[in-house]
Amino acid sequence: MNAYIPEIGKPVPRADAVAKATGAEKYAVDHYGDNIVWAGVRRAGVAHGRIRHLDTSVASLLPGVIAVLTGRDVPGTNRQGIIHKDQPVLADEKVRHCGDAVALVVAEDRATLQKALSLIRVEIDPLPGVFTVDDALRPDAPLVHEDHPQGNVLLKATIHSGDGQVALEGCDIILEETFHVPVQSHAFIETENGVAWQERGGKVALVVSTQAPFRDKWEISHALGLPLDRLHIIGPYLGGAFGGKDGATVQCLLVLAALHTGGRRVKMWWNREESFIAGYKRHAVRMHYHLGARTDGTLQALHCRLYYDTGAYAHLGGEVMALGMEHAGGPYRIPHTLIEGWCVYTNNPIAGAMRGFGVAQVSFAFEGMMDLLAVKLGMDPLELRLKNALLRGDRNASGVTLTQSTGIADCLTAVQHHSLWHERKAWKKEAPPFHKRGVGIAAVFNAMGYGRGLPDSALAKVELTPEGRIRVYSGVSDMGQGNTTAFVQIAGQILCQDHTAIELIQPDTERTLPSGSASAGRTTYTYGNALIKACEELRRRLTGRAALMLLSDTLDDLELLPGRVKNLATGREIPLTALAAMMSPEDRVCISQFLMPVVRDKLDTGKEFVIGFPHLLFSYAAHLVCIEVDELTGVIDIKAYLAATEAGRVLNPQAFEQQVQGAIAQGIGYALSEEVLLQEGRIVNPDFATYIIPGALDIPEIVSLAVETYEPSGPYGMKGVGEVGMNGPLPSIAGALADASGIHMTRSPLTAERVLAALQNQQEHP
Amino acid sequence: MTQVYLPRTLTELWTYLDGEPEALIYTGGTDLLVKMPAENANTAPALICLERLGELRCIRETADSILIGSTTTHAELLRHPLILAQLPVLAQALQTLGSPLIRNMGTIGGNICTASPAGDTLPPLYILEAEVELHSRKAVRILPIREFISGPGKTQLQKGEILSGVAVKKPADYNIHHFEKVGQRKSMACAVASMAALLRLSPSGLIEAARLALGSVGPTVVTATAIDESLIGKKLSLTSLAATAERIRQLVAPIDDVRASADYRRTVSGNLLLRLLDARTQ
Repeated sequence: MNAYIPEIGKPVPRADAVAKATGAEKYAVDHYGDNIVWAGVRRAGVAHGRIRHLDTSVASLLPGVIAVLTGRDVPGTNRQGIIHKDQPVLADEKVRHCGDAVALVVAEDRATLQKALSLIRVEIDPLPGVFTVDDALRPDAPLVHEDHPQGNVLLKATIHSGDGQVALEGCDIILEETFHVPVQSHAFIETENGVAWQERGGKVALVVSTQAPFRDKWEISHALGLPLDRLHIIGPYLGGAFGGKDGATVQCLLVLAALHTGGRRVKMWWNREESFIAGYKRHAVRMHYHLGARTDGTLQALHCRLYYDTGAYAHLGGEVMALGMEHAGGPYRIPHTLIEGWCVYTNNPIAGAMRGFGVAQVSFAFEGMMDLLAVKLGMDPLELRLKNALLRGDRNASGVTLTQSTGIADCLTAVQHHSLWHERKAWKKEAPPFHKRGVGIAAVFNAMGYGRGLPDSALAKVELTPEGRIRVYSGVSDMGQGNTTAFVQIAGQILCQDHTAIELIQPDTERTLPSGSASAGRTTYTYGNALIKACEELRRRLTGRAALMLLSDTLDDLELLPGRVKNLATGREIPLTALAAMMSPEDRVCISQFLMPVVRDKLDTGKEFVIGFPHLLFSYAAHLVCIEVDELTGVIDIKAYLAATEAGRVLNPQAFEQQVQGAIAQGIGYALSEEVLLQEGRIVNPDFATYIIPGALDIPEIVSLAVETYEPSGPYGMKGVGEVGMNGPLPSIAGALADASGIHMTRSPLTAERVLAALQNQQEHP
Repeated sequence: MTQVYLPRTLTELWTYLDGEPEALIYTGGTDLLVKMPAENANTAPALICLERLGELRCIRETADSILIGSTTTHAELLRHPLILAQLPVLAQALQTLGSPLIRNMGTIGGNICTASPAGDTLPPLYILEAEVELHSRKAVRILPIREFISGPGKTQLQKGEILSGVAVKKPADYNIHHFEKVGQRKSMACAVASMAALLRLSPSGLIEAARLALGSVGPTVVTATAIDESLIGKKLSLTSLAATAERIRQLVAPIDDVRASADYRRTVSGNLLLRLLDARTQ
């Protein structure tokens, strides 16, 4: 490919495309090394119990075993966790879910490792477990964490605005419904893994598949009692993550293992089943809704109670619930709200961050309520949504004034004008025999950034290399979403260099600077803003230093061009290589920090949230789906999909559309088939033969419309687009099913079996 | 390390089998290797892979039957004019099997020997009255497929014996070929319920002959002469099919598992019959 200047707004190919397509790019899992040894974990296999006896002696004596470690061997607090440090690296006296790590083995090879793991004798006295939110909330419920002051309630919180639930009484119409969503798995391709080794000076290096290399350092340091300066974390491109690699997975175990291998590299790589059992999940939630409206469709009041099952450890459970509660009213103007949430410990697998962080769940509920209201009022569901859509300047359901770009009405209008919407009636009439057709819509949104209480900051670093090239040091991981391509575009736009002259360094705690986690739709927004400032400073420096070489008495005539600085008045040029040779190393590097702005309203609500509430910025989307329901089998076939997405300005149309498509595909899985099935805390479908993610044939053609606004605080006007698409498929498909059949499903996923049962029930009890 | 043998001729195969009588035999490995976790691969017995055994990779025609060598892949079958022209019911089933990658690796012999109640080629093979050919060093024997498969994962295959091929009668008397599978997604899906059907429809629209087979609703593929006969002489109408559908629901013996409940399988196995209303004559 010919050289081009990667610029803002162009469909610039991904910076990592060639390296990944040719297999040259190394994911964490591609890292091995000479003389490598293997680490693995013996897991509890019991959802709740007390360890009576743990005998590692036989395993230790097996030839080829290097170390067998238990909770007693963990230096430091033996507690990991992002905010609440409640998860042991290796269990001490108790196990709280089947995936708890009980012992860590390091061995010469994988076969010896497996043998040694099987030779560990673990005797666990089972304790009664809590496997549902209701069980966990009983006054006499067994406690998952005896030392947690609120018993099994990790967090109880309230958001209140206007007159709260009292306002329901004055409403013309009050609708009530309860919704259930199950546990979802991230199902990334590259399972949790890493390689660690101890260097001569005692420092431990770790190459790991992670969304948060800098936070990992703090987490490992706390759990293992190692000073921060003894840890070096390297975070290559990830083979998918979706939130599941936000927080420690293999990190503490691997660093602990590396302390026992005499400097040899040690690798840990969870297989798919282990990834299911021990990895993080999306929260199952039960959602009780009361929605009040006027007869003209104006929303008046909302009361909801949300119960999040957070599993055995906190992870980001409280923060996931906080975001869910903040979005519980949808992208609508509702003057009076009371939103109550309970985030509850159980002995189920650990729930945590996942794309659509708490919001994918409530989207099903609030859009389900809107569909019910539209039916009740005999109103066009799109008109009903438009009528109530938040506008800039409105207060949202949390009472926050929307001061920034707010494009949900524009998204809905874009759908309204599309042929799929205005030709829907004719299309529905053409349903083949034994099939019904329906068209559903959903209006969704997703907050960006960490929210109040946790500085959402990035430190960008850009360098003119001695070779005259531009090197961007990214401190925020690229898990496939394409943020690093945006960084190349920003550097290209400001520094006017060919794509071949721009290099990217992936996160590395010794080369790049702390820039937060790859999460919350914040990577391009926050790091990009910092990078703009750093690149502009570098540009000033390069022209300023070139002025000295080109004998220019003003900077006005100087222009930075590919590979050189040129004096346009005299035609004289200096190559960047010569400029770099003249500049000192520190002069060739620019560093800049950006801190995301926050909400300024003084809210007298949501005080239980230490961090993560409320948010200033949201991305919006309106989705439309056309489905065919097979009356003989209950199978839902998605025939067409349209997404109108507002995420500020689009920096790269291709990357934007890829995020929209990917999120919708994952959302279709969430809507139709994905469900982690649990029996007494044990996952019964921990593989891809039984945990059903969609295949290419299950995903229809997706039309993506970018509804651009300008977000003044964003880099070139953009906002994050990675998550919002996840929230639309479940409610829009459920809406389409209701449109096709009159059946309003309140429990997801909408499997063929559930749909057929509902159709039969409707026939028998019309 | 596990030994893997790759015989190129039957003679080589018998020699390897003599040396490794406990060896597991496979071709594409799409079932066997998946069931063998990487961590335990070293403890598995020897493996004998038939993918290079050219003698068994064939599709041939006689006057009244079609012979398929056991190591013929699903993709090869789907490309073959004889299969497409004469055995549409089998071709329809193959199209739903796995994914293009699985169809490139998996073979018809493997699908038969795995003997899963959900095996996609099995309902068509049952109604095509397939007979399997079993080879050992000393003998060849032939069994109807319904006798060869005795239960979920169970067959009459003896030690030292391989399935070398399958022969089906040309279904010239039937002008409707129909297969449908219900899975949890459109590809890479294990059948939750499936139905294969062959019908002969008279010009006046009466059913003159019928054969039905149902997958995933019993320990083996379910067929019943009484059900087939109940359709004969009837018009292809909702009423007649609905009556037979109800009989099917009473006949099948599905189980509850992680994919679906027995109730759902039972309902759907009957419902699938109604789809014949849309089936086109060939």
